[in-house]
Amino acid sequence: MSATSAGGSAATGGTPVAAGRTPPARPAPPLPETSGRPSARTAGRGLLRAMARRIGSGIVVIWAAATTAYLALLAAPGDTVDILIGDGPDTPEIRAGIIREWGLDRPEIVQYLSYLGRLLQGDLGRSYQLQRGVGDILAEQIGPSARLAVAAAATAIVLAVLIALVTAGRGPWARRAVSGVELLAVSVPTFVIGIVLLSVFSFSLGWFPVSGDEGWKSLVLPALTLALPAAGVLGQVLREGLEKALEQPFATTARARGLTERALVARHALRHAMLPGATLVGWFVAQLLTQAIITEAVFGRPGVGRVVLQAVTGGDMPVVMAVVILSAVVFVTVSTVLDLLYRVIDPRLRSS
Amino acid sequence: MRTRRLFPLLVALALAASACGSPGGGSAASSSGGGDRLTWAIETEPITFNPHLWGQNKARLLVFNQFDALVARNANGEFVPWLAKSWEVSEDGRVYTFELRDDVTFHDGEKFDANAVKANFDKLVEPGYNPAVASIQLARFKSAEVAGPYTIKITLKEPDGLFLDFLASPLGGQVSPKSLKEAKDLKAGGPDVVGTGPFILDRYVQGQEVHYRRNPDYNWAPQGAAHQGPAHLSEITYRFLPEAAVRVGALTSGQVDVIEGVPATEVRLIEKDPGLTLQTALNSGTAFSYYFNVSRPPFDDKRVREAFREAVDLDAVLRSVYQGTATRAWSIIGQASPFYDPSLERTYGGDIAKANRLLDEAGWTGRDAEGYRTKDGRRLTVRTVASAPFVRDRRDILAQAIQAQVKQNAGIDFQVKIVDQGTAQQAAEENEYEIFENSRGDSDAGAALNLILPKNAPINRTRFTDPEIDKWLAEASATSDQARRKELYTKVQRAVVSEHAIVFPIYVPADQIAARSGVHGLGFDPGSGTPKSAYEVRIGT
Repeated sequence: MSATSAGGSAATGGTPVAAGRTPPARPAPPLPETSGRPSARTAGRGLLRAMARRIGSGIVVIWAAATTAYLALLAAPGDTVDILIGDGPDTPEIRAGIIREWGLDRPEIVQYLSYLGRLLQGDLGRSYQLQRGVGDILAEQIGPSARLAVAAAATAIVLAVLIALVTAGRGPWARRAVSGVELLAVSVPTFVIGIVLLSVFSFSLGWFPVSGDEGWKSLVLPALTLALPAAGVLGQVLREGLEKALEQPFATTARARGLTERALVARHALRHAMLPGATLVGWFVAQLLTQAIITEAVFGRPGVGRVVLQAVTGGDMPVVMAVVILSAVVFVTVSTVLDLLYRVIDPRLRSS
Repeated sequence: MRTRRLFPLLVALALAASACGSPGGGSAASSSGGGDRLTWAIETEPITFNPHLWGQNKARLLVFNQFDALVARNANGEFVPWLAKSWEVSEDGRVYTFELRDDVTFHDGEKFDANAVKANFDKLVEPGYNPAVASIQLARFKSAEVAGPYTIKITLKEPDGLFLDFLASPLGGQVSPKSLKEAKDLKAGGPDVVGTGPFILDRYVQGQEVHYRRNPDYNWAPQGAAHQGPAHLSEITYRFLPEAAVRVGALTSGQVDVIEGVPATEVRLIEKDPGLTLQTALNSGTAFSYYFNVSRPPFDDKRVREAFREAVDLDAVLRSVYQGTATRAWSIIGQASPFYDPSLERTYGGDIAKANRLLDEAGWTGRDAEGYRTKDGRRLTVRTVASAPFVRDRRDILAQAIQAQVKQNAGIDFQVKIVDQGTAQQAAEENEYEIFENSRGDSDAGAALNLILPKNAPINRTRFTDPEIDKWLAEASATSDQARRKELYTKVQRAVVSEHAIVFPIYVPADQIAARSGVHGLGFDPGSGTPKSAYEVRIGT
């Protein structure tokens, strides 16, 4: 316990943005000082408690997601046997065979409990359609999806920050032009963005391959497809945040102390603009999860999106439920990380 | 685009120049696409690579790369030897004795022999393995006996005219007994479920591609194949590109050598390009048709069924939806089948005056505010409930075009519902539909008719029954006399299309292959009309 606690305090103490460590040479503190700042040690303990609470509620969220998915399965029209039969021939013998194979004759509550029991053992069940372990399928597909998501997220953030830095506080003409492009990126369907990028950079110029998950080249266009709409939204939010920050009293003070506008934006205003930006990350993750389905199909990439598309259209519930649980895990993780990130960005939150 | 094409050419030239000293160096650089390696973009990723569980017509082209069957169909539709050198059928049609080749080896080194064939049959009827095959295609199967190291005796409970068709289908692909016992994911198939075919599946990346390499020992192509011995290609990669526009772009930009599934909108573009070739073939089996549910109003009245067909100018609909690339169907059986009855052509359809007369006679004389016909205050409404995963070939657009026609021409309210699989199944069970849309790609159309027409047939969604039709179908199934079968199926077609009007045949599904012009040996499986395996494919000039 004490070791972890010390580790936690070291991490907090080492964070360069801790208000107490702000070098006196800096012209203005990034954010208003707060009174009653906790010591590093109590902050670390608070952090641990917060994390424990987070993990506890995360488990509840994941259980709720699994159960909701299960109830949705029960409530969905047609029963599991229908789905397994698909558009194939349907006779009493075929039905009996399927019911036997999948244990569908047991009471629903028994099926649910055994499902939960298997989940606890890390067994995600077997795909109706693909006739393989769901865990195996996801383990294979999660790598390509994660690579795509990380590349898209990085591209979107870099693009958004660049757009915001370049356009904040510029004249109305430049603003309107950039806003127009952003609006376009946000409103055009992902599918169309993907096809256009492919037509230009793959089919005509031949710079990038159309399909697969082989090296960085095959990652560029799909990542860009996912990043463009997100960068549009993030860029707008960041710019607005920047412009608001630049009107604050501390900006006036900083200017009076002779700081250049560029340094003011980069060193101080950006931090203010990042809070609403960070809030958007949750939306961004959801966006990635849903848009990846289309992007992976258009580009012929492997990934969870492809699997879930096939599973949803084919009624392959074990896969759908596993992806629901996986999404819940991702969201819980992201919101926990975001919470910590807020504390880093905004020292005021550390006292609470 | 130009530079992209130029670069590999320069590399090829450089290689050719450096290899000038050795003979044969020139032939290695004969094609710009990388020697005897081929990349083929396909539309549908198979759900399984196990031939015993095959169910997607679109995945047929992959099966016979990896697996061989006991018999094959030649271009005339006749059965010819493959892994079986010869066979005999007993007088009563119940016992089939196959003499097998003795020089065949599975990819895992196991010997192919009578024990292997028996293991395949025993597996196919094992409960829970493939209930559909066990209860339909092998419903008449009794036992498989090893009568000698290379002699297998199959006994049926009763004669079955479709038994050889089953053996020649992907479902009859011979799987190594070792993999039937040991494969980790037997039902999914993949690299550890092996056959004796001309290619060895060595890599499968779900969602991306499947890769095969040549089986160097292959020497047992079916009789009538374009060549014998190993395949021409050393490697073939099939990429899964579900988006048609992306497949076409990948082909025109030279990223893949071959594609299948060319949408109507892109056919012109490919035909115009001198560097590309395009081939089309009609599928066997049944035509894509609307089946009328006769168990409930309004289609319990034959006049209304006929009126629906007369209210549609189908040629115009197909022209606008498929831009002249679709072949109109006239019978429940498609034109590609030897059982097709051409006498049904131009015997019905497109007579708007007749449609309205029939509806008047049937009592649908009222009109409501929106212009739809009514009877006793009820609107003339019919519904189709289609399961979204199986809607392809722009059939949703097709339905909308037909909807507009029957409304305008005859005041029929045709509702098109595209729903999830569960909802579609529920509608079928609760009899809440008036039209059922379906096409089947079975290589023998009789197999499809057996599923759709007889009383209590697995997909008899018309709920129409006629003891005479059942009798004809049963007789046709039990005989292997093709002339007699054709006679019987002609009677069946006339009964369901003309006499009872329970079906509205719309178009014959087709497959397309587009390729860069250096690729040869591409074509269609004579049995099914779908693209055939890569065994005969070669790259050259």
